[in-house]
Amino acid sequence: MESGSIFEQLGIHWQLLLSQAVNFFILLIILRVFAYKPLLAVIKKRNEKIKEGLQKAEEAEARLKEVDIIAKKHLQKADQEAMEIIKATQKKAETLQQSLQKETEDRQKELMAQAELAYLRQQEQAKQLVFSQAMELVKKTIMKTVELKPEIIDEALIKKAVLQVKDEI
Amino acid sequence: MEEISLKAQEIFNLGSFGVTNSLFSTLAVSLALIMTAFIARSKIKLVPGTIQSGVEMSAEWLLGLMEGMLGSAKKAEQYFPLVATIFLFIMACNLSGILPGVGSFFIEQGGQDVPLFRSPAADLNFTLAFAVISVIMTNLIGMAAAGVLPHISKFINFSNPINFFIGILELVSEFAKIISLSFRLFGNVFAGEVLLTIIFFLVPYVIPLPFLFLEIFVGMVQSFVFAMLTLVSISLHTALHEEH
Repeated sequence: MESGSIFEQLGIHWQLLLSQAVNFFILLIILRVFAYKPLLAVIKKRNEKIKEGLQKAEEAEARLKEVDIIAKKHLQKADQEAMEIIKATQKKAETLQQSLQKETEDRQKELMAQAELAYLRQQEQAKQLVFSQAMELVKKTIMKTVELKPEIIDEALIKKAVLQVKDEI
Repeated sequence: MEEISLKAQEIFNLGSFGVTNSLFSTLAVSLALIMTAFIARSKIKLVPGTIQSGVEMSAEWLLGLMEGMLGSAKKAEQYFPLVATIFLFIMACNLSGILPGVGSFFIEQGGQDVPLFRSPAADLNFTLAFAVISVIMTNLIGMAAAGVLPHISKFINFSNPINFFIGILELVSEFAKIISLSFRLFGNVFAGEVLLTIIFFLVPYVIPLPFLFLEIFVGMVQSFVFAMLTLVSISLHTALHEEH
């Protein structure tokens, strides 16, 4: 071991110290520029992107909730409108049914009245026919009777007889 | 057995400047780190691969640790290069000393075979330079944080005898830091080198393995300790000024 100061004994030399220090600073600068800066920048950029992505996801979730609420409101409104339309249609149908029913009843009554009238007319015609035929028959009977005994002819009496018969019918 | 030298040995001269094997190793490690940085820079992508993910995880872990100690992310990012470089460089230097084959290269110097490489931290010039850098940088950071005069008033304060005495103690503690930082690192690494040399001499196979693992561990822990002590010092210098 060399004799001398403690620095010499420990091998400490200012030139070596300075070289080590300079070497360290050169390394520090190079690493700072070429390694740490880009590395930290990329980490920062990624963190920002992640943050942005999370924020967007939250926004999208909130928007989705809003849309869901709006959709539910629309559905409720549509349900209400549908119910109203159904009710209105039912009411309309009932009214229509009632009017149709009334119309049918009226028509039925009318037809019944017409049928009754026709029946009465036919009945009257039949009566007329029976009456004229009866009159003819009575007339012919009487004429046959008169042929046998002409002195008993009395037109007025015949007519009276016929009217009596008619009343009886 | 290989001669154990406390001092780094000169391997060649550049004019009057003798380049030691320790400085040569330091330069080699620096070059390796610079090349790695250049390669890494061209391969940094927004979507990271396996290696980039690992590096980013380590960087984020260190940033988180610094943020916890310094109290703000901005400060952590600001001082990250210094702390990270101290940690990375010392660790790379410590691990380079136990790389296989590193101890096999010798160069003839003055009729003697001198190892071409020597673990940089097994030379006090390296550790002392780092300790001085650490202390100077932390003080510069303190000055930048609060101004030159308020920072100096921490060491030289004539307001009252107690403050003056505290100032002297602070000044002494700064020098003590240099000695403690440099000798802690030097002692650990040099002791490891000596231990490995002796073990390899006594039993060259199998037995040195646990000691190699121990040295890897010590190398990593010491670099971490150095970086953390620097960080604590930065934290103290900046926090004290914030209080003022």
